[in-house]
Amino acid sequence: MNYLPILKIEDLCTYFYSRSKQAFIRSVDHVGLQIAKGQTLGLVGESGSGKSVTALSIMGLVRGEPGVISGSIELNTPEGGINLLQGLGLHVRIHRDNGRIMQVAKDADAWEKTADRNLRGIRGKQIAMIFQDPKNAMNPFVAVGRQIAEAVRLNTAVAGHREARARALHWLAQVRIDSPQLRYHNNPHGLSGGMCQRAMIAMALAAEPVVLIADEPTTGLDATIQSHIVDLMGDLKDELALTTLLISHDIDVIRSLADTVAVMYGGTIMQQGPVQAVLGDTGTQHPYTAALLDSIPDQRLIRSKGYLQAIRGDVLDTMNIPAGCRFYPRCNKVDDTIRAQCRDQEPALINIAGGHRVRCWRFAQARPYSGRAAVHAMQRN
Amino acid sequence: MQTSALKPIARLLTKELLIAVLLLLGVSLVVFFILYLAPGNPFATLAGKRAGSNWHQIQDNEPSGAWYAQYLHWLGRVVQGDLGHSTRSGLPVFNEVIKTGLNTAFLTIGSILLTLLLAVPIAVYTARKGLTAIGWGLTAGSYILAALPSFWFGYIVIYICIHQFGVFPLAFGADASQWRGIYFLLPVLVLGLCSGTLSEMVRYLREELSRVLTEDYIRTARAKGASIWKHALREGFVLPVTEMVAAKIPFVLGGAVVVEQVFNWPGMGRLAWQAAQDRDFPMIMGITLMAAVFVRTGSLIKQVVHICVNPRASQE
Repeated sequence: MNYLPILKIEDLCTYFYSRSKQAFIRSVDHVGLQIAKGQTLGLVGESGSGKSVTALSIMGLVRGEPGVISGSIELNTPEGGINLLQGLGLHVRIHRDNGRIMQVAKDADAWEKTADRNLRGIRGKQIAMIFQDPKNAMNPFVAVGRQIAEAVRLNTAVAGHREARARALHWLAQVRIDSPQLRYHNNPHGLSGGMCQRAMIAMALAAEPVVLIADEPTTGLDATIQSHIVDLMGDLKDELALTTLLISHDIDVIRSLADTVAVMYGGTIMQQGPVQAVLGDTGTQHPYTAALLDSIPDQRLIRSKGYLQAIRGDVLDTMNIPAGCRFYPRCNKVDDTIRAQCRDQEPALINIAGGHRVRCWRFAQARPYSGRAAVHAMQRN
Repeated sequence: MQTSALKPIARLLTKELLIAVLLLLGVSLVVFFILYLAPGNPFATLAGKRAGSNWHQIQDNEPSGAWYAQYLHWLGRVVQGDLGHSTRSGLPVFNEVIKTGLNTAFLTIGSILLTLLLAVPIAVYTARKGLTAIGWGLTAGSYILAALPSFWFGYIVIYICIHQFGVFPLAFGADASQWRGIYFLLPVLVLGLCSGTLSEMVRYLREELSRVLTEDYIRTARAKGASIWKHALREGFVLPVTEMVAAKIPFVLGGAVVVEQVFNWPGMGRLAWQAAQDRDFPMIMGITLMAAVFVRTGSLIKQVVHICVNPRASQE
């Protein structure tokens, strides 16, 4: 099989406009991602870093103006590839200044019409999504089983009500819900949070999608339930060979489920690559990734009753993106040799080893490194 | 709508029946007391000032007494299914109230349906598109219509239709066979537009619908390729509509009094007006009870719909 990513996002920009501040909120700013078949891509970052907006942009579910404004989202299914943002460039005029988007004129109605046409037969069918807060994300007035059966009828070849019901029961069993026959008739409020999340997963899987997007699937559940859901998703990944975009701020969840990972900060990707390289003990981390890892309590720290290392400063206000590196104001790894660069110039995503890319001037300095040299750097620490 | 809804509905009906009995007792007591305090009596209007002040005395050869004794006497007969006779016409109150009550129910339901017919499209349009020029115009129009006094608008409508077009005969209901046709449309139209319900319905339905359209589960419906309208139907449409209709029945009934008067519609409102003029106490009491039953039935239907649509409501 040739290496063709199932989902390939390039240069995705999703902005919102704040009338009161008269400025753009650059929620997703030139993001590129790709996921290979059967792989799970973890998307991590603090709250407000643009993870969920990225997912909603893929699904065409962004509300608010101007919304998605540029980029391409390529989906390669067995039937062929399509760009979900095809033809949308006609409906938007972007004015750039110094490479930065300063003005956007968008024909929202025409955009939405075209986007909906592009997404017909894709949304829900080829790309399904699991949301956080399942009790509110499932229709509170309809039995969960019927909601799953609806997804079956809408998105698979199964059209009959009886067969759809049988499929729904199958999926309820697949996500390890006890006595699916009974649970089928429960409304979301009649299920526990964990069960409801399982039902939500079943509903997404029932469409038999090519790509699954899971937006914070474990957030808001208590710790034991969280680990059950993580276990379930791990099992499902093996059983169904799912291609997944997994969004979480919980690095442990990403570690146990993802194959590759992208770290987002201030609306853009700071680092991406294989999980071991990005989240492992390698020393080739972006300062932001390193700071994120340091802020997780580990057993040694808990036993020694030491202090947790918080990242200093606040999450980047995406209305005022600095000219230089987005993380510069909070970075603790700037030294005098690169300070001027960090402050004034935005670094590019630099490939430091096969598929492992970092957006940091510290690694740009080491640009002459070959892939092998980078491996050395990893081993040194 | 599953079988699980039947038990809560049965429980609700028992509870409602109990409440209805207490409510009717309370309403009749209050109205009876007010009538007792009110100046005038049926025989003064019929026979002049010399008539006695105690209507039981003449009607039933019953001794007069304190107001509560009169009330208990009336209540005792009501419990036996006898609402008495009109002091004016001598007809049995029960038959009169049922006959005119049906006409009023017809007028009320018709006008509420008309209001919905106008309010729902405006609400859906403005919930979807926001207050665009058209949406704003429609909303403003609904406010203006709701602000028109129905007695004035009723006469304008009659004037235009009859004098300009010569379409509608003046004597509505003069002949029982006559108002079966399209003649009932005018009062329904006037009450539907001018009872003050239209603008409130537009506003309430729009707010509810646009709130529901931003709910997480509607986003989920879009994400799975389902129709958002289908998913928004229960919470964004069925619940607010029944809520609004039940809440507006008393107002529409009140409006019916005026409209029936204007159009000479043989309904309960006109009968109530007449009975009040004549101090026709048995009739007033009968109409009061009937109106209370009307209002309570509306709220009962609302609650049954709520239980069917929203199983959570039944688990309290």
